[in-house]
Amino acid sequence: MSDFSIIGKRIAMVDAAGKTTGAGKYTDDLTLPGMLIGKILHSPYPHARIKRIDASRALALEGVVAVVTGQDAPNKYGILPVGHDETALAVDRVRYVGDNVACVAAVDETTAEKALELIEVEYEPLPAYFDPEESMKAERDLIHENRPHNLEKDYHHVFGDPEKGFAEADCIRESRYIANEVTHAAMEPHSTLAAFELDPYSGALGRLTVWSSTQVPYYLQHKLSLVLEMPMSQIRVIKPLVGGGFGGKSEVIPLEIIAAVAARAAKAPVKITYTREEVFWAHRGRPRTIMDMKIGAKRDGRLTAVAARVVQDGGAYCSYGVVTILYSGALLGAIYDILNVRWDGYRVLTNKPACGAMRGHGTVNVRFAFESQLDEIAAEIALDPAEIRRINLLQPPCITVNNLRVTSYGLPECIEKVVERSGWRERRGKLPRGRGLGIGCSHYVSGAANSIIRSDMPHSTVNIKIDRDGGVVVYTGASEIGQGSDTMTAQIAAEVLGCTLQRVKIVAADTDLTPIDIGSYSSRVTFMAGNATLRAAEEVKKQIASAAARKMNCVPEDLVFRDDLVFKRGSSVSSVPSGVDSVVAGRVEGQILRGSLQQKRKEEVPKDWMTFEEAVVAAIDFHGALTGTGSYAPPPESRGGSFKGAGVGPSPSYSYSAQVADVSVDEETGEVTVHKVWAAHDCGRALNPVAVEGQIIGSVWMGLGQALEEEMVWKDGLLMNPGLLEYRSPSAVESPEIEPIIVESIDPEGPFGAKECSEGSLAATIPAIANAIYDAVGIRLREVPFTPERVLAAIRARDAAAKKLDLTEGVDPTAPTRFREHGGALWFRGKGPKRHELDPARRAEQLAGGDD
Amino acid sequence: MSLPDFKLLRPRSLAEAVELLGKHVDVQIVAGGTDLIPSLKQRLFIPAYVIDIRRIAELRGIRVIPGQGTEIGALTTLTEIEHSDLIRRDYPVLQEAAKTVASPILRNMGTLGGNICLDTRCLWYNQSLTWRTSCGFCIKKDGDLCHVAPGGTKCWAVFSGDTPPALLCLDAELEIAGPAGTRRLALRDFYTNLGDARMKLARNEMVSRVFLPERTAGYRGVYRKLRLRGSIDYPLAGVAVALKRSNGHVEDARVAITAVNPAPLVVRGVEKEMVGKSVTEEIAAAVGELAARTAKPLTTSALTPEYRREMIRVFAKRAVLEAGTK
Repeated sequence: MSDFSIIGKRIAMVDAAGKTTGAGKYTDDLTLPGMLIGKILHSPYPHARIKRIDASRALALEGVVAVVTGQDAPNKYGILPVGHDETALAVDRVRYVGDNVACVAAVDETTAEKALELIEVEYEPLPAYFDPEESMKAERDLIHENRPHNLEKDYHHVFGDPEKGFAEADCIRESRYIANEVTHAAMEPHSTLAAFELDPYSGALGRLTVWSSTQVPYYLQHKLSLVLEMPMSQIRVIKPLVGGGFGGKSEVIPLEIIAAVAARAAKAPVKITYTREEVFWAHRGRPRTIMDMKIGAKRDGRLTAVAARVVQDGGAYCSYGVVTILYSGALLGAIYDILNVRWDGYRVLTNKPACGAMRGHGTVNVRFAFESQLDEIAAEIALDPAEIRRINLLQPPCITVNNLRVTSYGLPECIEKVVERSGWRERRGKLPRGRGLGIGCSHYVSGAANSIIRSDMPHSTVNIKIDRDGGVVVYTGASEIGQGSDTMTAQIAAEVLGCTLQRVKIVAADTDLTPIDIGSYSSRVTFMAGNATLRAAEEVKKQIASAAARKMNCVPEDLVFRDDLVFKRGSSVSSVPSGVDSVVAGRVEGQILRGSLQQKRKEEVPKDWMTFEEAVVAAIDFHGALTGTGSYAPPPESRGGSFKGAGVGPSPSYSYSAQVADVSVDEETGEVTVHKVWAAHDCGRALNPVAVEGQIIGSVWMGLGQALEEEMVWKDGLLMNPGLLEYRSPSAVESPEIEPIIVESIDPEGPFGAKECSEGSLAATIPAIANAIYDAVGIRLREVPFTPERVLAAIRARDAAAKKLDLTEGVDPTAPTRFREHGGALWFRGKGPKRHELDPARRAEQLAGGDD
Repeated sequence: MSLPDFKLLRPRSLAEAVELLGKHVDVQIVAGGTDLIPSLKQRLFIPAYVIDIRRIAELRGIRVIPGQGTEIGALTTLTEIEHSDLIRRDYPVLQEAAKTVASPILRNMGTLGGNICLDTRCLWYNQSLTWRTSCGFCIKKDGDLCHVAPGGTKCWAVFSGDTPPALLCLDAELEIAGPAGTRRLALRDFYTNLGDARMKLARNEMVSRVFLPERTAGYRGVYRKLRLRGSIDYPLAGVAVALKRSNGHVEDARVAITAVNPAPLVVRGVEKEMVGKSVTEEIAAAVGELAARTAKPLTTSALTPEYRREMIRVFAKRAVLEAGTK
């Protein structure tokens, strides 16, 4: 079974050449004749009523073709059916600084920007909410009228008997953890080009085509249809090359709708590309999260119960919020064997840009809290941190208390591998002062077993067409966003059909051409689109085999497809030619002729091998062009329980990770240096090891950013660092050596046994670093990121003898209590923008005597 | 974000540049562009004219003037300084500082003159027009309030160049070109320590050359920079140390700090503390205290002011120990 010709080989991405030479086209590289540039006017207020918009002066400016506002497209939409709370442009209310108010379409960017300054908007400011715990108390001036107390959603789950579990525990730890807000920071800012077909005589609008940097072209098609009131069949969405998504493009982003609305008004193609600042306002990243975590364990290390209260600062719109909060509870399960769980989750609205899905959706922050606390328990009962994780492993196949089905489970091997490679046993606790090792584990879904749109449709469908040229064209709705989806698809098709990778052409993510696939998010593409590709390829292969078998006088089951050849099983190696490249390189005309010649020759001498091309032509002679289709829907037994909120968390399969971080801490400056991270990841089967390693390294690196540097910082609802200079993702300089270790558990349902590999590793990095810092200098940091001033403050707090110097305004990073508006790596006691006098934040400030 | 409309002037000689400076009122000078271009996009400047001085060949390069010292043209890139054997040998503190600026790509563009004339920075100022509109403008640009120190009328935007503290330690002088020819000014007299009117340069003048005296050639030097990210970042605190030793004793010493005041500043009292002694932990700690006392960080940048000042102390101590004992 493991004898593959293409699967498991280190293969360069099929779209690498275009990206590296610059020949590849991203959305912003596209232009159309008569194309206009769109620019969006954003709200300067975090919460205000729009009393009047006057765009007449802007419209009068030479070069301005159209100005659109909320009234031009007032229909509500949202990525979740339960969260339709967004409009293309604000209709009478703005809800965060940066909310979309109007859009100008003009002949060029400069003109459009000038026109923005000419639009007059009269606002009536409203009290705004910036702190989720304050926001939950709101009685008036709600962010959305239908969400009392600004609570988007709350859930309360109890599995097993947590009270009994805690009563049986010998050791209980309970503390509050805070993870600050981070964003995707994909290299490519969002960009959309929208164009309507125009009737040349009447000028009437026809079909709409949208090119957009999206992870979810079909959702975009659907939401465009809702907002524009057009049938989906009249809308075509095309995804060009995408320069990274990480979840930031996994839902419909305002500019995608706005570009279409503006194009409709202007009767001309409109392109909008966000500035980096606008990307921060569109955001949809990982919310600030407060976690009150409690874990109980027996003296032997067995966990008896876990309780968690999770509050997420969701921003002004629902986005994926309901899913995010549910993941934070559901993924307490399916990694360790915990029988008693209590979880309370609150997704809260605040007057800030909406948070949404980001790599490791919903699990990352909670995993930081859990894995940190697990180490505290291990320390208290004097158990090796790797050992306590081993003691609590699941025994799959199994169903967890919250109804998650676990099949393949490589976590034990992951732990074993990182312990071995890092020299954990020999080195931990024996390193010089200031240096330490820490371990952390994590897991993630291989796609959600329940689609966010409730329907019975398959989650992925793939079509394959092979014509007389011998080219295999795979039509897939899966979105290549840099993660390697096209390469994965090509590999699976080529492996099943036994042809070379060069024969395979991928047509992806074009709603006119490709069958529905719900998109590239929740790490679902390899598992689901991969399985659909496998099935489509097998269907085509069956047709080829039946034709080839007739020519070779055997039954189809006797044929082997491999290395661009079709041959009888067991035929002697010498009878199969090795150099068939010359055959492949033939001209189309010749191939068509040759097909017919072959057919004649067949009657004479049946042979025991054919080239792939000959077999294909033979099959086409019988059937016409070959087509096959395959689809994938998660099996019913993987879809989870029936309690409220049970839909989120179940997956056909889970990936597992274990990591060890080697760090040193400068006790005089608080600077943390990560020297090396050993990261083992169970991806089922590595279809393309080099791609898997890339994903592991990328995940660790992104986790490193959240652990040490990245943080969105706010002052009265104003983002203080809306750019990549002040929002600091790590540079190559401080990136540690990362040793990716692939663990293959061969999933029973994944394509060739493969499962998720692009998100699961991220969540383990943060606690591994936190635990290593503890090992190095004995401080337990409960607020991320671990910026140097937080680390130093904790070191000073630990060492009472040291000169006391308040570095973090009296807030102890080892025991954070609440969000601080001006908290974090950037610190603002300065005077913020003028806000409504009834702002909760302002009232608190007055009570405290102000902070100026 | 697009650039504002302006007329681009491209002189080929220093004389021509100075003439253009005298002729036009609303002017910005661009050399490497790494500081000015983002600011233009953010509409911090909306000049009628931009003078691109990159074609002035005479302002490029490093040259020894025997008996006097070393002359560096204002257009010499930071990469050239980083890779100059002469600078590495004679003025190591400048080389160390130059190689910490931003990232390799930005150093290929950025010039020494530009680093000296760097605009002061503040998180309430270096933002887009939309952002500043939302926040309410500040004293440095379009407003009358300082968000950092709301009571006062002074601008506290922080000077964030890496090379000037090193140059201060080396007693560098500037050549300033203007309509009446050129004049010389000690670098330590160049800055005002005001966030808005940051340097003593008339409207029609420009910095043309930097002189490093022969006297400070061979001074041991160390530059230490606090940053959150290993590359690209401006300093959040920076300390330069240059000293001369003979027979194990300090003969001359200078410490300068950056990124914690509206100007790079020479730390006073260092000579008194160090000259004639051999460097010990105690002396280094005392210099660290002096440096920390000179620092007045405010909430213009990332990290808390308290932490940044504390790092000035720690970095100064470490840099003095390293320069004094290695």
